[in-house]
Amino acid sequence: MEEELHNIHYLNPNPATAEASQTSSQEQLFLRLEAHLERMETEFKKTVKQFAKQDGHRSSPASADLSEMVHNLEERLKMVSDEVRQAAAPRQKKSQLIKLVEGGLHLLGTTSTHAVRDFFVKTWFGNAKEESFEFDDFGLDPTFMEKVKPFFDFLYQDYWRVNVKGVHHIPRDGRGLIVSNHSGTLPYDGAMIRVGVLNEHPARRDVRFLVEDFVYHFPFLGTFMYRTGGVRACPENAERLLNKDHLVAVFPEGVKGIGKEFKNRYRLQRFGRGGFIKLALKTRSPIIPTAVIGAEEIHPIIYKSTALAKPLGIPYIPITPTLPWLGPLGLIPLPSKWTIVFAEPIRFDRYGPEDAEDQMLVNKLSEMVRSNIQDHLSEEIKNRRSVWFG
Amino acid sequence: MKEPKRKTAQRTIALTGTAGFLGSSILRRLEADPRFTHVIAIDNKKPPFPIKKTHFFRLDLTEVMADAKLVEIFKREKVDTVVHAALPVTPVHHMAYTHELQSVGTMYVLNACSGTNVRKIVLTSTTDVYGARATNPNYLDESAPLRGGFKSTFIADKIDAEMQFLKHAKKHPNVVVTILRPCTIVGPNVHNFKTSFIQRPIVFTIMGYDPLFQFIHEEDVLHALQMTIEKDYPGIFNLVGDGVLPLSKVLQLAGRIAMQVPAPLLYPASQIAWYASLSPAPASHLDFLKYLCVADGEKAKQVMKFIPKYSTKEALLSFIGAMRLREVHLVAAPGGA
Repeated sequence: MEEELHNIHYLNPNPATAEASQTSSQEQLFLRLEAHLERMETEFKKTVKQFAKQDGHRSSPASADLSEMVHNLEERLKMVSDEVRQAAAPRQKKSQLIKLVEGGLHLLGTTSTHAVRDFFVKTWFGNAKEESFEFDDFGLDPTFMEKVKPFFDFLYQDYWRVNVKGVHHIPRDGRGLIVSNHSGTLPYDGAMIRVGVLNEHPARRDVRFLVEDFVYHFPFLGTFMYRTGGVRACPENAERLLNKDHLVAVFPEGVKGIGKEFKNRYRLQRFGRGGFIKLALKTRSPIIPTAVIGAEEIHPIIYKSTALAKPLGIPYIPITPTLPWLGPLGLIPLPSKWTIVFAEPIRFDRYGPEDAEDQMLVNKLSEMVRSNIQDHLSEEIKNRRSVWFG
Repeated sequence: MKEPKRKTAQRTIALTGTAGFLGSSILRRLEADPRFTHVIAIDNKKPPFPIKKTHFFRLDLTEVMADAKLVEIFKREKVDTVVHAALPVTPVHHMAYTHELQSVGTMYVLNACSGTNVRKIVLTSTTDVYGARATNPNYLDESAPLRGGFKSTFIADKIDAEMQFLKHAKKHPNVVVTILRPCTIVGPNVHNFKTSFIQRPIVFTIMGYDPLFQFIHEEDVLHALQMTIEKDYPGIFNLVGDGVLPLSKVLQLAGRIAMQVPAPLLYPASQIAWYASLSPAPASHLDFLKYLCVADGEKAKQVMKFIPKYSTKEALLSFIGAMRLREVHLVAAPGGA
């Protein structure tokens, strides 16, 4: 056994094959590699022997270990060379024609297999260059945001032709609570406020908008909201964001607002229990009353079915002129003309965080903000000539 | 106190669950640290490494009258601090035993503590006790309700153990009671059902859901545990690494293939797989792949001054690096030829 291995190890290159084929160059490379390994081994042995001589008998057990190691190394290297040889061997017997065909197939194959591989790598692992591994605390993915920004820009500029007024009322830095009317079945208004401030505000501020619970019960939709800057609406989340000096958009009407029936359009619903006022008082942030006009016509809800919606875990099933009748096409919102008005900020500097406990005061302030937004809404509606062209 | 006041490190420290990961790792630390002179280990299995100065007591916490035996040990060794790490991290099929160990075992330990002069008790829990729910806020602080036990009896037992500790704290106001809630622990030496979830080549996830995950490195957890042994930090503390990563990115970093399956299919399938021992956890744990369960580690930072060395991503990468090395080692392991 030892001898056989030895023979293979010291085998010289066959001159006949070395002349002819491409594989022989590979072969030569392997042989050179082997020769190198050989030299390394002998050198190693020499040094080990020298060490053994220098240290005398004290290190003799160690040197024995070393020689064993060398032996193991040798054997392993021989096996490697054996494998390499076997891999290279069958190629030598092939005729020129087979080689040509093989080459052609190889050429074809590389392009197609690369494409296939790239496809699977992309779908399964994603493209490492395009994907980010940095997420903010609430799961916003900046790279994904960049990818979907063109779509939001299309909605903003071409589809709803959003006109923004009073963007200078949004502070250049520091915290702020954007309080707006809510509508549209899906939280498009939050997304448009976000895009509006990002596009029009000189500081390009990033607005995080709060989204109703029920969206997060849906597959895909909840994840999409998180990646594009939505945050689940709850006081803890809003407080955390404001304390980190973010701009936060809230819709105090909540589910009652987003699923507003068409006959109630632009009539603000009850502003919850004034949670947003408590929030503003606790975090000492200014409130920017905001009116979104146009969003209340994109999905004119004629009727809401709550009984059918309960088993699905959603608050209601909207019936619009398009929704169940056109199937998935009914989900496409109507192209109304939008106007977003940011009104003058309201500051509650007179009150402190402790006033958040005073429910009477909270209700009073809440009603004040509500009427402020309602005034702006009514004024804009009065001046609007057409739902579609503004 | 008649006894001369000894330094915290020189007091007798009793560890339970020293065959488990956390128990054995903290025991290894205390063994290596010359400041700790009196350490006792209690478990029904020996620690996985040779011990020198530690006194090992073989005791099954589920056996009847375990508390009497514990009292005997605590009195004889003059135990001052008890670290109760005998709560299993990985769910086992033997549900009754897990319940006995987590709920009843904790009761025995606490009974023994109230019968003796134990001054400090520490419990290692987990952030899983909050439960993954659609209505969770993004960051759960220590005061958040514990809703993890609605579906999973495994987590319900952990919550029960925590409740017992809190009751003990009310009954004995002079005893320092600390509950540590680390999030998913990862690192080169960790092996539990969550790491084995990432180790599979194909990972089944719930279609359309991609919750944020949080990891803490094993060293950070052990560091925090050692801090609570050395100093007194009464209360509950979340231990988390900085930052979050969505599940999809976690699997990408680990180089695993994520197979998205609709939730109505995956839940029954994984329950069957659990019965067939093919899945590392029962289906109730799938909630953690669906909804958020991210804890806020601010309190530990403020009160304990605990600053994790590894962020979520770094901790995960440390684990993945070790995992890859292990995989390569398996392939290239010598001895076959």
